[in-house]
Amino acid sequence: MKKFVLLTGIVALFSLAAFSQAPAAPPATSTPITTNDLKNVDTPKMDDRLKGDPGASLTGNVSDIAVNDSKKGLTVADALNQIGQNKVAINFVWTLITGFLVMFMQAGFAVVETGLCRAKNANHTMMMNFMVYGVGMLAYWLIGFAIQMGGVGGVANLGGVPSLNTEHAITLFGKSFGLFGQHGIFLTQGGTYDVGVMVVFLFQMVFMDTALTIVTGSAAERWKYSAFIVSSFIMGAFTYPLFANWAWGGGWLANLGTNFGLGKGYCDFAGSGVVHAVGGITALAVSMVVGPRLGKYARDGRPNAIIGHDIVIVLTGCFILAFGWFGFNPGSTLGASGNGSLRISSIAVNTMLAGMTGGFGAMLYMWMRYGKPDASMSGNGLLAGLVAITAPSGFVNTVGASIIGLIAGVLVCLSVEFVDRKLKVDDPVGAISVHGANGLWGVISVGLFADGKSNYGGSWNGVTGSVTGLFYGDASQLVAQLIGVVTLVGFVFTFSYVVNLVIDYFVGQRVSAKAELEGLDLPEMGQLGYPEFELKGRAVSV
Amino acid sequence: MIFSGIVITLLGFLLSVLSLGFVSSVGGRMTMVLIGLAVSLFGIMGVINRANLKNAIWRR
Repeated sequence: MKKFVLLTGIVALFSLAAFSQAPAAPPATSTPITTNDLKNVDTPKMDDRLKGDPGASLTGNVSDIAVNDSKKGLTVADALNQIGQNKVAINFVWTLITGFLVMFMQAGFAVVETGLCRAKNANHTMMMNFMVYGVGMLAYWLIGFAIQMGGVGGVANLGGVPSLNTEHAITLFGKSFGLFGQHGIFLTQGGTYDVGVMVVFLFQMVFMDTALTIVTGSAAERWKYSAFIVSSFIMGAFTYPLFANWAWGGGWLANLGTNFGLGKGYCDFAGSGVVHAVGGITALAVSMVVGPRLGKYARDGRPNAIIGHDIVIVLTGCFILAFGWFGFNPGSTLGASGNGSLRISSIAVNTMLAGMTGGFGAMLYMWMRYGKPDASMSGNGLLAGLVAITAPSGFVNTVGASIIGLIAGVLVCLSVEFVDRKLKVDDPVGAISVHGANGLWGVISVGLFADGKSNYGGSWNGVTGSVTGLFYGDASQLVAQLIGVVTLVGFVFTFSYVVNLVIDYFVGQRVSAKAELEGLDLPEMGQLGYPEFELKGRAVSV
Repeated sequence: MIFSGIVITLLGFLLSVLSLGFVSSVGGRMTMVLIGLAVSLFGIMGVINRANLKNAIWRR
């Protein structure tokens, strides 16, 4: 009897399996829709509408489709135009809202940097973070956007933006090398007074401002406010837009694939290189020009720890930044509909995971090395993981994202020690390590971990296929990424360093020793950050 | 000294760009790009930073 039951069960299981594997029915023959079909679509009666629609079954129907010619009534062309506009509308809303999230990251940067500085400089540090938003935006609106995106040649998800079509290029090795765009000055020149262009501008502007605000952290507590204004303006107008054009605006780095067969060209999905490495490397240049804070190094070169005044707002700021990063990375699809944009879910999960493993990596490293799970370095580890995953977020799977974040968490600790002790470059908030070192790591990781599964409309940077890294079979992608890294280290650093040397000559980069010892709030800003607090000096050995 | 550092750093970048025109294999380009990266890093850390440290504020 038992054997019979067992046999029956096995037969039933196989039958079920066979049934589930039965070939699907052939697709029904598609019949073209005619205008007459549209006229026969039922619409809710007005009597029903007047009763309200609590079940949401009547609101939004064929009568909501815009009709071009009321005499003809609804046509197929009307319906198709509405579908196209709906797709672009979804992408507009997605890109704008994610752009708003990125804008809020400015608040996160402001409190992280201010918390890591001393209370006597709170107003000055906060004001730099506050005004870099306006200074950068002005420079970018004036010229930066045109340099970056003026020759991008179209953004399919946002309705095409065909007016951004003029790139200045030179010919090198028989190939075209795009250097800078030429349309979009004041958002009016060259036909750029356009709804799609406005979306591109808003999204790219908040990215640019993120790069600028990185520098205010590394040069904090001794940077002259007037020099900060000039330096930030030039960075928003030229430094950032140039590299961003090469990577995102149709420039020569993006075309390394089409011109030289190097993978899909330089790939930086949301800006580990374009935003964070540009910010971090400029931070290194500015910190070298400005010099270390008084008391940071003893006469024998031994570094002293200068502790920030509020770890609570530091970690709160890290959370704000992690929240904003959901705009940074998933928003970089520039849409939620069409061209593989539904990958936003994968990008968001990759972002979460890398941030988490970055925080863990830094906490465990500090715990093992110094005996305590350091709070500020755990926060920096979270940010390092997020910075590193920014470039590969659209091209890797969750395992790759977790590994990239974990390495970033440890790398940020090692880099902070290296910059502090070996280079003797003073960086109060660790911006050079968080954004510079890990921005470069993020760019390289695309060339290693990209799994070849992403598909954004069938090609990337004009090369058919998916972005694939060394571990999945394409070594040439890693070469393209490394050329991007050398461009950041060799060109962006040099440009930033020379610009800031010139500013130092004409404006002066550093406040007086008296102002620095007193705290920059009164001498530079005219008001204390915490006027009712009694600030106590702390002796340091020099 | 700082000027030399700037030139060396820029040279590393130019070396990696030149790899696009003068080398066609992936391995060859990778090698040239890595050499360019090393040159640029030497320019920043070994020359420019060292020049800055000679006149560092904490030495005075």
